[in-house]
Amino acid sequence: VSTLRIGVARIRTWRWWPVAATLLAGVIVAAAVRIVGGRLEAYATVSLWVALLAVAVIVAAVIASRVATRAAVERANTRALEQARAERRRLLLRLDHELKNPLTAARVGLANLTSLPLPEHAAESARGVEEQMLRMSQLVANLRKLAELGERPAERAPVDMAELLAEVETDLRDAPAGQGRHLVVTVSRAPWPLPPVRGDRDLLYLAFHNLAANALKFSDPTDTVEIRAFENRDHVVVEVADTGRGIPISEQDDVWEELARAGNARGVEGSGLGLALVRSIVAVHGGHASLTSREGAGTLVRLELPAA
Amino acid sequence: MAEPRPQSQGSERPTILLADDEHAIRETLGQFLHRAGFDVIEAGTGERALELAQTRVVDLCVLDVLMPGLDGREVLRRLRRAGSFTPVLLLTQVGDAGERAMALEEGADDYLNKPFDPHELVARVRAILRRSDRGAPSLTASSVLQSGPLRLDRLARRAWIGENELTLTPKAMLLLDYLMTHPNELLTRERLLEVVWGWEYPVGSRAVDNRVAELRRALGEDAAEPVWLETAPGQGYRFIGEVRREGT
Repeated sequence: VSTLRIGVARIRTWRWWPVAATLLAGVIVAAAVRIVGGRLEAYATVSLWVALLAVAVIVAAVIASRVATRAAVERANTRALEQARAERRRLLLRLDHELKNPLTAARVGLANLTSLPLPEHAAESARGVEEQMLRMSQLVANLRKLAELGERPAERAPVDMAELLAEVETDLRDAPAGQGRHLVVTVSRAPWPLPPVRGDRDLLYLAFHNLAANALKFSDPTDTVEIRAFENRDHVVVEVADTGRGIPISEQDDVWEELARAGNARGVEGSGLGLALVRSIVAVHGGHASLTSREGAGTLVRLELPAA
Repeated sequence: MAEPRPQSQGSERPTILLADDEHAIRETLGQFLHRAGFDVIEAGTGERALELAQTRVVDLCVLDVLMPGLDGREVLRRLRRAGSFTPVLLLTQVGDAGERAMALEEGADDYLNKPFDPHELVARVRAILRRSDRGAPSLTASSVLQSGPLRLDRLARRAWIGENELTLTPKAMLLLDYLMTHPNELLTRERLLEVVWGWEYPVGSRAVDNRVAELRRALGEDAAEPVWLETAPGQGYRFIGEVRREGT
């Protein structure tokens, strides 16, 4: 029965009309030949042209139909993707909304408590609770930012990437995590300087700072972290690479998701929102983010942003 | 314009009207503010807040933006329309810069994003009460501000020094707006970051410093000898120019 079903489905989806058109063209040519009889030679050229025309029409129709099908599939995919993103944004905003009031009440309640004279052990507990409350507040703020990022266009001013990456480098070197680390930043200058990227400077800074800080975080003091920026066609490509612990292959697709953390990232402080933020920032700039990693060898994150 | 409202100035404890539809927030925040030295009147709806603000002696309103019925923003609008200049601090739920700019345009004196640090709220409240000119419109209720030759049209988002118009990015303009409406107040980088970007993130102080640098360049200001914008080393920034409402 199932074979029969497949057969019927095939017949249903089978494009019968190009074949029918070919047959029809053949019949017309054959009829023409029969009618002209002895004057075959004189009409042969005409018949040939008719046949060629029929074939051309059929080929064009087949191509047009294929292109239309592909476009329809792509449109449907884009729509589904956009819908999924919009749904996720709505979920994040609802979550943010629902968490905000209880968190506010809890923070104020705790402040009321700590303003009383507490025994030392209670004060210590209260400090611990406060720290966790701050973490939650930060998480809520980041979730909201993620949701907002997808909703409005970023500021659009030309951003000098060499300058921006130099800032990232300086700030990371000054941070405790970057001290004494082997951090190399190269920005292509020949044959011409790297073109600027049109966008929101603060967001781009945040994206590259996040990536480079990740690279430092998930590698050892003896490892190397490289940031490379160069031009590729009309894009500025920035790669952040490290010789760190890498990401297990089964988890590489998921690390861009909100709150996702790789299995070997446990024990390292983080919110699981860094890469999701990077992805959203790249998306609002009309760019593309990709990741290559080998567990135990290192990770390469590549951002491609349209040049201004 | 309405008669100037009676003021509780001179009494030891300023009165705060606290409006939030969440009972837990009213209760905890009410206690906190009381302990910080304020008398607190609570309202669970916008309608009640509006009524209390117009009939009771109130020095400052803390209004939650998202309330069913009349929301905080609408209460603020109606208060201002009725000619009341009681300072208002909005507890916003939305971090977006456009929303915040709108809140300032509508005449809110300040705003905080939930969840906030209650100590920060008290600091904001005290700062507003310090600079509020009793019964008169505050700087945030004015559309054009002036500090020496510097002139800021807050609604048009344009600024001039003398005849020369300044070219500023939208964020630098928002920053200038916040600084000029909060003169002589120490504004931490974290606070400025939240105000202008709606978001506090660990590496954000760089973003604030960059915009301040942009502002200084546009103002032709020497950071070592500032006329307008002073750096409080390790703490933040302070607008030190005297700010007037246009025509005063």
